[in-house]
Amino acid sequence: MAVKNMNDMLQDGLDRAVELMMVAAHNSYRFGNRNTITCVSVGKEEMEQIAEFAYSLGDMSPLAARDGRFLRDLIKEPCALLVFGDRRKSDLNFNCGACGYRTCAELNKAEEMESLTARGPSCQFKNISLNIAANAAASLAWRLGLHCRVFSTLAMAAFALQIIPDVDVVTSVAVSTARVDPFFDRHKFWTQEHWDETFSREFPTFTRGFIGAIE
Amino acid sequence: MSIERSLKQYELDRREAVKLAAKLLLASGTTSPRVGGVGECTIHIIDDECEIDELAHKVEALAEENKAWKMFKRDAAMLRDADAVLVITSLRCLTDPADINCNMCGRLTCEYYRKVERIPAGPGVAFTGPLCVFRANNMAYAIDAVIQQARAMGIDYGVFWSAGVAAMRMKIVPRDAGFCVAVAISVTEKSPFRDVPVKYDEMNERTMNDRIIKRLWPQFRSIYS
Repeated sequence: MAVKNMNDMLQDGLDRAVELMMVAAHNSYRFGNRNTITCVSVGKEEMEQIAEFAYSLGDMSPLAARDGRFLRDLIKEPCALLVFGDRRKSDLNFNCGACGYRTCAELNKAEEMESLTARGPSCQFKNISLNIAANAAASLAWRLGLHCRVFSTLAMAAFALQIIPDVDVVTSVAVSTARVDPFFDRHKFWTQEHWDETFSREFPTFTRGFIGAIE
Repeated sequence: MSIERSLKQYELDRREAVKLAAKLLLASGTTSPRVGGVGECTIHIIDDECEIDELAHKVEALAEENKAWKMFKRDAAMLRDADAVLVITSLRCLTDPADINCNMCGRLTCEYYRKVERIPAGPGVAFTGPLCVFRANNMAYAIDAVIQQARAMGIDYGVFWSAGVAAMRMKIVPRDAGFCVAVAISVTEKSPFRDVPVKYDEMNERTMNDRIIKRLWPQFRSIYS
């Protein structure tokens, strides 16, 4: 019997897991019994583009820069990114007011606002259904033992780069079979000095003796 | 153990199972992801029969407020059969936007969003939007975590935004809650949240209280729904 390489098996397992996550997301709970969600699995080349784009937003959004820089490291090991999206207009007719308009008809007629991250205004319940799908995928990944994290920043970068077509609001789930969990406690991105400096700038009162005693 | 005793014990154990399950569902909902890693959701368990009935009563009353909410009557009938209701809230979506300028609310930046006039609370208004969509999306993770755990444990569940609105109106959730959705659970042989026939608010186990009907209704319900 041929010996199968560990890395090949990890990649095959990851591919299969991503398919199963897609099934879990596709069949997850929806409000109003409608399934209008679009989902794509992003390849390595597109992930590189997403990483560069998100990192380039450093001045506007430190959060996007953090995730962009992180994604550049993530793609060095077996990983996958699922991007979920949906249309913003409501076909639910709940007339609940959460979007800021009294009826769904008013929301659907409202002026569309375009930006890099999403098109608004969007139906709150469509958003909830979309994120339930993302959570169903993440929940399965967790049970399968994959490293996993939900990213809105990377999804918004994918949206801006038009990697996911015909959607207005997006979210994403990244999974990985790296040797150690790459998604949390990412301390390697800054030195102790840089961290201390940033902390004292952001929270000056923390080290102050009492209010008013600066030096 | 006598037959009477064993039947009573079964009912007591079933109720105990509901309470335990509700707590485990709360645990799963609480530990689910939050955007930006910032906590904001609370989960409230209602497992008292009378309190569930009060909630169902309020849901029924809400059905009269808005033409689009006719299905609330059907929800109320289902809620009355629930063993426990978990009300999930979002505490930041109304008062504390996420400051990431995501434009999902359609106001481009959080600064513009703060200046937008809200829908005044009143009859026919469920949520005083616009809400911070980015924050309120945390609800999705909490709802789905509860659902996933219920599925893993083999507990029947139903998701009702009507009961969330009712809980807000009854002021039994924190004051800052801008968005609420309820997940009802049931530990019974037949899920009260599935196979819901037409006119279920008028014709259900409670209203059809006749011995012959009681004998035939469960099967009729299974076939004609």
